[in-house]
Amino acid sequence: MAKSVIPIGPWHPLQEEPEFFTLTVDGETVEDIDVSVGYNHRGIEKLSEMKSFDQATFVIERICGICSTSHPFAYTMAVEDVIPVEVPDRAKYIRTIVAETERIHSHLLWLGLAGHFLGYNTIYHWVWKLREEILDVLEMLTGNRQNYAMFKPGGVRRDVNTDNVPLILKKIDGIIPTVNRLKKAILDDPVLHARLKGIGILTKEEAIDYSALGPTARASGVAKDVRKDAPYGAYDKVDWDMIVTENGDVWDKAVIRILETYESIKIVKTCIAELPGGEIDLNIKDIPPGEGIGAHEAPRGETFHYVRSDGTNRPARHKVRAPTFMNLPTYKATVIGETISDASIILAAIDPCYCCTERMAVRDMEGKRLFGGPDLVKLSQEKTAQLKREMGVQ
Amino acid sequence: MKLPKVRELVEAIKALVVGPYTSKFPFEPHVPYKSFRGQPKYDSDKCVGCLACEQVCPAEAIGHEDITDSGEPKRVLYHYTDTCIYCGTCEEACIADNEGIKLSNDWELAFFDRKTESFETIEKELQLCEICGDVIACKDHLQWITERIGELTFSSPTLYYSRLKELGVVDENIVSALRDSGRSDRFKILCARCRRETTLTTQ
Amino acid sequence: MRTREQVLKDLQTRFKDDIVDLLDKSPKRVYMEIKPEAIVRIGSYIFKDLEARFNIASGVDARSHIEILYHFSLEYINLLISLRVKLDREKPSIDSLANSFKAVNWVEREMSELLGIEFKGHPEMKRLLLPEEWPEGVYPLRADYEEWDKNAIRDRGV
Repeated sequence: MAKSVIPIGPWHPLQEEPEFFTLTVDGETVEDIDVSVGYNHRGIEKLSEMKSFDQATFVIERICGICSTSHPFAYTMAVEDVIPVEVPDRAKYIRTIVAETERIHSHLLWLGLAGHFLGYNTIYHWVWKLREEILDVLEMLTGNRQNYAMFKPGGVRRDVNTDNVPLILKKIDGIIPTVNRLKKAILDDPVLHARLKGIGILTKEEAIDYSALGPTARASGVAKDVRKDAPYGAYDKVDWDMIVTENGDVWDKAVIRILETYESIKIVKTCIAELPGGEIDLNIKDIPPGEGIGAHEAPRGETFHYVRSDGTNRPARHKVRAPTFMNLPTYKATVIGETISDASIILAAIDPCYCCTERMAVRDMEGKRLFGGPDLVKLSQEKTAQLKREMGVQ
Repeated sequence: MKLPKVRELVEAIKALVVGPYTSKFPFEPHVPYKSFRGQPKYDSDKCVGCLACEQVCPAEAIGHEDITDSGEPKRVLYHYTDTCIYCGTCEEACIADNEGIKLSNDWELAFFDRKTESFETIEKELQLCEICGDVIACKDHLQWITERIGELTFSSPTLYYSRLKELGVVDENIVSALRDSGRSDRFKILCARCRRETTLTTQ
Repeated sequence: MRTREQVLKDLQTRFKDDIVDLLDKSPKRVYMEIKPEAIVRIGSYIFKDLEARFNIASGVDARSHIEILYHFSLEYINLLISLRVKLDREKPSIDSLANSFKAVNWVEREMSELLGIEFKGHPEMKRLLLPEEWPEGVYPLRADYEEWDKNAIRDRGV
């Protein structure tokens, strides 16, 4: 059968959203996938060349809404690497507290959305209700639920108010019983085992060849985590474990994220208890000419920033690399050969930005468009319902 | 498969007993935490009109306009609510002990007409040069400087005249008598260029 | 498991004709400038034999020439090696590394459309980030870029 691809979109009267993924299928199996990005390109690297070093932090925060700490953290470490200089201890602990609290809320968000894609809408709403407690903690610490305006080259901008600490600890301790219950409910469910095990496997050689990052790589046995390999902040002063599994399928990625939530809760509580005194800011005035690199482990992988300074008060070049940029090409290795009802959960397993995952379309070998993004989610939910019927559950 | 159902039942019963997690906004007001970063508000007594907040704002959400041709000379500062990102850099940069502009807890900021309602203003009195009419600074800014440099105020006629006028100590009769006796331009409130010219030349 | 000194000495002896400069900035950062012809040899040696992880490649317009920096991280000794190549500003071109390992595929597409660098031998060179309507030959990250879209709004828009 000759393959002919008819270009449809991105702005077409029959579609709801611009085209993003194109899956070519033969019957039920995916033969090929093509990813096109760029609908959200905002020119941030050029914009940071027009702002001063302090002002650029605010632009950088707004790259991503979910991991709003990772980009400023990596950027401020890159600017401090140009000089190079070490920030005071109290600033390191405060930065770690904000970063780990954000990791908890990001993993809970992923859990809820994975539940939605599989048809477990109750998990979706319960987990997001739990997430509200964490967002309250962030509002008490920083003043806002997102876009914290806490980071600055040389330290942090605001101090932790000791009046808030008992309420913060109470809220964090309050979510632990519910996370325990969720963990047992997910790890014991036979339908989820059947649905997620053995699907979307990324082998260790492919993970190294594509240079995959974060939970996507740790699920395949690649034991790399920036917080352990090149410690910064307070990560070398606190006791915690790195979670690595062997199989590389979607089940392992879910397990890693749940277990990492426990480690983050441990780190936050230890850091609050051991917060040292002292200054929170170095008051850096001038950045000398030079180059600097900063890396931080975001919930999705390693964020990498490169800054070059020419002695003025503006960056001469600022390169931003989000972790999803290295993880997205792995779709070619994980989705090909799987069925289309599993496509949405495999694409969700690397935890990309969710507005991207919905822009999918499926074409058959003659180029006719069969399904859109919401249809694929519905297919996935229907498969779960059918599995439940077959296994006699509910 | 009864055991998992018991676990989920606990959560369901707890939710039934406690009630819905959401609040009944707008029938109940929502008060955020004390450290919430809301709308920045100017304080007319503390603000000195130095424009430091305008220079550091990352989003360029503060602007100003100097009105010198009609009536009392004044400087109008604008803060654009729809451009502001509520970061707090203006509050950190404020030279009047971080109190000239402060972030409040206000978060209900929607408006209808972008041309008239999207900004807040404050007015400060301006000091003009007595020879050429150029803008020197706001009167409160000159007071702020004199309070901090103490006796060094008496090094510059601009500074000490403005200070003494505020205190009400300058006698207008003596000033007008001095005005007619040569080099009298040295005893006026002047901008930097006019001060150079009166010091170095005999015009 | 090699040490940091062994790794650096190995690179300096094995490629001594191709290395122009080595800057040992701090225990964690090494910047090595190499000749553009040697990028495929040195890049694949570091990735495959030294078992490094490829981080990203950043292209910089340094006013008199165009530079590309390839960042590799060696986690077992906590070292980040950055390879720097300097290219001619009029027609910058270099061999593509995408045939040696797949991680560098997307970055080279991005650099070719934003800075105008030609990568010889890239398997699928097409647009990654810029839309279809963007004119050819206009490279946004270059220092002499000028606005071409007359309808773009540049102020508050009221």
